[in-house]
Amino acid sequence: MSHEHHDHDEAMEPVQEFSRRSFLKLAGFSFAGTALAGCQQSNLENAIPYLLRPEEITPGVPYWFASTCRACSAGCGVLVKNRDGRPIKIEGNPAHPVSRGGLCAIGQAAIVSLYDSQRLNGPLLKGSPSTWDQVDAEVMTELAAIKNSGGAVRFLTGSVTSPTTRGLIGRFLASFKDGRHGEYDPVSSSAILDAHQYTHGSRLLPRFRFEQAETIVSLDADFLGTWISPVEFTKGYRAGRSLEGSGQKFSHHTQIESRLSLTGSNADERIIVSPDEVALVTSRLVALVSSRAGRSAHSVSPNLAEHLENRLTGIADRLWQTRGRSLIVCGTNDLGLQVQVNLLNDLLGNYGKTIDVENPSYQCRGDDGELTRLIDEIQSGSVQALFVEGVNPLYDLPDSTALKEAFSRIRLMVSFAERVDETSETARVVMPQPHELERWNDAETVAGIVSLSQPTIQPLRDTRTLGESLSVWLGERHGAYDLIRQEWERSVFRRRNQERSFTAFWNKTLHDGFVEVEGQGVKVKSLKRDALHPRSSSPKPVAEGAFALVLHSSLTMLDGRHAHNPWLQELADPVTKIVWDNYVSISETVAANLGIGEGDVVTIQTEEKGRLELPAHLQPGQHDRVLSIALGYGRKGTDRFIDVGPKWLQAKPTVAPGELVGVNAATLLRFENGELAYTNLSVTIAKTGRKHPLASTQEYHSLTNPDLLGGGTGERRPIIQQTSFAAYAKDPSAGSFRKHEIESLWPDDHQYDGHRWGMAIDLSACTGCSACVIGCQAENNIPVVGKDEVGRNRELQWLRIDRYYDNENGELSVSHQPMMCQHCGNAPCETVCPVLATVHDSEGLNQQIYNRCVGTRYCANNCPYKVRHFNWFEYPRGDELHRMVLNPDVTVRERGVMEKCSFCVQRIQLAKIEAKNEGRSLRDGDIQPACQQSCPADAITFGDMNDPESRISRAMTEPRFYRVLEELGVRPSIGYMTLVRDTEDSESRPSANEKGAGIHG
Amino acid sequence: MKFLNNRLLSVILGVAVLLAMSVFLTSFMVNMRLPDNHQGFEPVQPIAYSHLLHAGELGISCLHCHTGAEKGRTAGIPSTNVCMNCHKHVTAPILSVRAEDEQAAKENRPPRRIFSPELRKLYATTGLDDELKPDSSRTASGVAWVRVHSLPSFVYFNHSAHVNAGVLCQTCHGNVETMERVRQVSSLSMGSCVNCHRDPGLTASTGRKVTASTDCVVCHH
Repeated sequence: MSHEHHDHDEAMEPVQEFSRRSFLKLAGFSFAGTALAGCQQSNLENAIPYLLRPEEITPGVPYWFASTCRACSAGCGVLVKNRDGRPIKIEGNPAHPVSRGGLCAIGQAAIVSLYDSQRLNGPLLKGSPSTWDQVDAEVMTELAAIKNSGGAVRFLTGSVTSPTTRGLIGRFLASFKDGRHGEYDPVSSSAILDAHQYTHGSRLLPRFRFEQAETIVSLDADFLGTWISPVEFTKGYRAGRSLEGSGQKFSHHTQIESRLSLTGSNADERIIVSPDEVALVTSRLVALVSSRAGRSAHSVSPNLAEHLENRLTGIADRLWQTRGRSLIVCGTNDLGLQVQVNLLNDLLGNYGKTIDVENPSYQCRGDDGELTRLIDEIQSGSVQALFVEGVNPLYDLPDSTALKEAFSRIRLMVSFAERVDETSETARVVMPQPHELERWNDAETVAGIVSLSQPTIQPLRDTRTLGESLSVWLGERHGAYDLIRQEWERSVFRRRNQERSFTAFWNKTLHDGFVEVEGQGVKVKSLKRDALHPRSSSPKPVAEGAFALVLHSSLTMLDGRHAHNPWLQELADPVTKIVWDNYVSISETVAANLGIGEGDVVTIQTEEKGRLELPAHLQPGQHDRVLSIALGYGRKGTDRFIDVGPKWLQAKPTVAPGELVGVNAATLLRFENGELAYTNLSVTIAKTGRKHPLASTQEYHSLTNPDLLGGGTGERRPIIQQTSFAAYAKDPSAGSFRKHEIESLWPDDHQYDGHRWGMAIDLSACTGCSACVIGCQAENNIPVVGKDEVGRNRELQWLRIDRYYDNENGELSVSHQPMMCQHCGNAPCETVCPVLATVHDSEGLNQQIYNRCVGTRYCANNCPYKVRHFNWFEYPRGDELHRMVLNPDVTVRERGVMEKCSFCVQRIQLAKIEAKNEGRSLRDGDIQPACQQSCPADAITFGDMNDPESRISRAMTEPRFYRVLEELGVRPSIGYMTLVRDTEDSESRPSANEKGAGIHG
Repeated sequence: MKFLNNRLLSVILGVAVLLAMSVFLTSFMVNMRLPDNHQGFEPVQPIAYSHLLHAGELGISCLHCHTGAEKGRTAGIPSTNVCMNCHKHVTAPILSVRAEDEQAAKENRPPRRIFSPELRKLYATTGLDDELKPDSSRTASGVAWVRVHSLPSFVYFNHSAHVNAGVLCQTCHGNVETMERVRQVSSLSMGSCVNCHRDPGLTASTGRKVTASTDCVVCHH
């Protein structure tokens, strides 16, 4: 109908007397008439019931599977929500001892990858589709020949956390004269393990217990964002910084880093040093702590700038005072540095307290030394058969051209990949792996905690697990389930010694998703060597005029394995807020000197002839001599996203034709002293003159009023309340904005007799990790809109995390504030809706009724929090299969309607119905919105404000509780808790903000 | 549009409008209803299943087959195995079985097993042959019933909340136990929901009056 309107529209322009308006009136009426008359016929819809209904499925009722997340190697426990035979959401498993209910954004977004139609279907032989029998015959013939000749057989994998797979690989390789298994992590922690080999005599990754630490010093380790096991560490970090109840404790966190990481943005104290200075700072700390311990310093004390020296002395004092309760972690993959860190932790007596080496972590097992040897073997042509699983060496290792050439000379190369990627396209045989939600698997990521994965759906693709393939080649032909069950009966069950029957043990473990058994941890007691590693010399400083390059893993892409996930591509980086791209971050002052602006394409050139062209991003809090680039972009196949987003006249594709999403920065990686080096101390930067606009979800950065509005006073906006821990300890209401008595024009005639829903978000707990954003997206069927639409501020995510910079005394302080519909008592959106599509309900919710909405967008214009989102288009699901992930309890919105956070009202309704059906009243905690459920920091509290015993009611009486833009008198149902940091200044920060206008963005 | 003069255009449009209005008004008077109102919809089903026989004469409870109604959002159409619980034994109406028994007794032969033609359709979609043995030439496809009651995709109705509150199935579905073929009795319009939600007129087993919310988000989310 609308098309016809358009046709007439243009055609009627020249007609004078018969105006276009009157034509439309008449035409519109006649069309409406025929439409109404024509809608009598019912469209036939078939309903085909099951032949044999599976016992656990009641159509329309969700059911859950306990499983283990494999989006990275941390191994968080998950619960998978299924509806009618298909998984629709992944949530954290509250009982799991590693992740304790938290789940990061990547783990939650992994569900979209299941419904990816580009995953391989069936094996490939020499690049063309084949059958399992054919490829098995091919592999086994070759293997037999290699076995006879005694040729070298190599496995190259990521960290293998599955005891079953590890055992099978071992058995398989043992059947050859020369078989070896090399593991590496594309974002490597190998130096930590090697350092423990050196100092403790055992190559292990300790388990860091942030909850025990009162002083945390992190040297370039982004442990809240991407480092090793971020969910586990966030849980621990949060437990060590608790302001609730009587058990108040608050750790002190110092971040020493060169770029602004998510972890750095949360630190109490942040010291910006260039990568070459990290080693100096560490040496100095060793010296300072040694002298306090009464031991002679091992290292020569380097000459540091006075202000740095003073701060380090302070840190050393604090560390010494809290010895045994402190923790130093280092994210630099450098053996010498890590040995120093071990020494420091040992001097402080942290081993056995905040660092557990007896029950170590198996989350990263990569060995860069082994990797180097393997690459040498491959390049010398001595490897006869190579099996690659879980990694993408031709993408994530340096010098991929030479490596590719060497790979092509290998007699038999087999790739176990989910899709055709950089590596698998070189392989003779590709054996596609099932998605984690389709398969049986197990994992021991921390000694003594063994988890199970179970299939939640019939495999959507013709795939086979690595274990099954090995079993075929070993002549056993066991299924994945049998393999794991046998292994568990053989090993895991023996380590338990509680249940008598294996079946009972197995069934309980399967139900729970994990089991705690005796760790096989090594008995490491004390430092074996307390001498410094010969490599612990200080590196040469950054050359004059050059820059230090820092490559880091991205919070959304990690090492690139999630590049095909559209949710993650459109998830804003928690610090830069940029989507759909990687870029080189550069300090604002240096950029100004070089004349580089945001989005200017620059060339990065290393000494080793490495060269990249990518857009620049101006980043506050970045060291002046440092350029940083996220890994994980520029993956083959990401040109598929050219179709993401609506098609219309002015649309620009998310990826330019023939290009990829971002560029691959792994080409600038190097091996240095046998370890993968993520820093490069001599790179140059030059402008190309081209521009590549970056799309960001937040274009306002600062917490102070712009000069135009604030009259140049630099007043802070009353949006984030913050204070120091010292001030908070004296006065719990420290940092509060002065409360105004607000006169309301509205009569106070809403009764709210029953429930009244409210939420409190603790800004001290929130790290900005963005898990809630993806949780909300999955729960509420929020589509991906594409880069161009994000650039036009049309992203649809109901929950965003606002990141503010605050420059006080020359030091950058960063705050993260989750922002969604505030469900105002006197909601400004409701009064302007001409069709009553947004109205208040009897429980305090601000309802948005899609079928009433006509799309005037008045409500969004009148919303002071800017949390309403308009469907400018019918957003196609990028992939037909993606429809399978839709939550059937939430309406899929169409073009022309407004939408926003509903407080997950479908969960509220379901919980109420369940309570009623069981004949009881709702309990506090029965309802958890999606954002709260998986928050790794437990920052969100939701509940009934009318129930005086509920957690939300108690939170609201806390002195830290405040409401954003309270002075507007809109009476929001969401409140925030003052951001408390253990900063030096005891003065509470927002003192002179009474005049601060409530203007946002 | 220059080739048409304005007067002619007005006449053509006027006639079109009059025509449309007359169609609209006639249909409105004949059967006054709004779009998407399928009241009276009574489709022919692939198998002539009789609710009159099962729910009416035999007195089988609705929840015996529609088990989802007290557990979750959808009442559900019973899976074929529920039908087969009885119909692996009951293959024809009792009267024809008796007639065959009598006939067999007369002819002094063992009675043959009688199959009703409608049940044969059920067995065919279940992949069974005439002896009720699995038949590899038939695919077990399930019965493609035609859906009678359906709500727009932006409406969420939870059966369990209503069944457990004591709302009778007949309140919305009419006296299905008297229907040979199921017909949509209620309009299932928002009006019919809201009228009941304002005053359900039900008393819970605890003696309290049953209340229902009229908030939009109770059904629209």
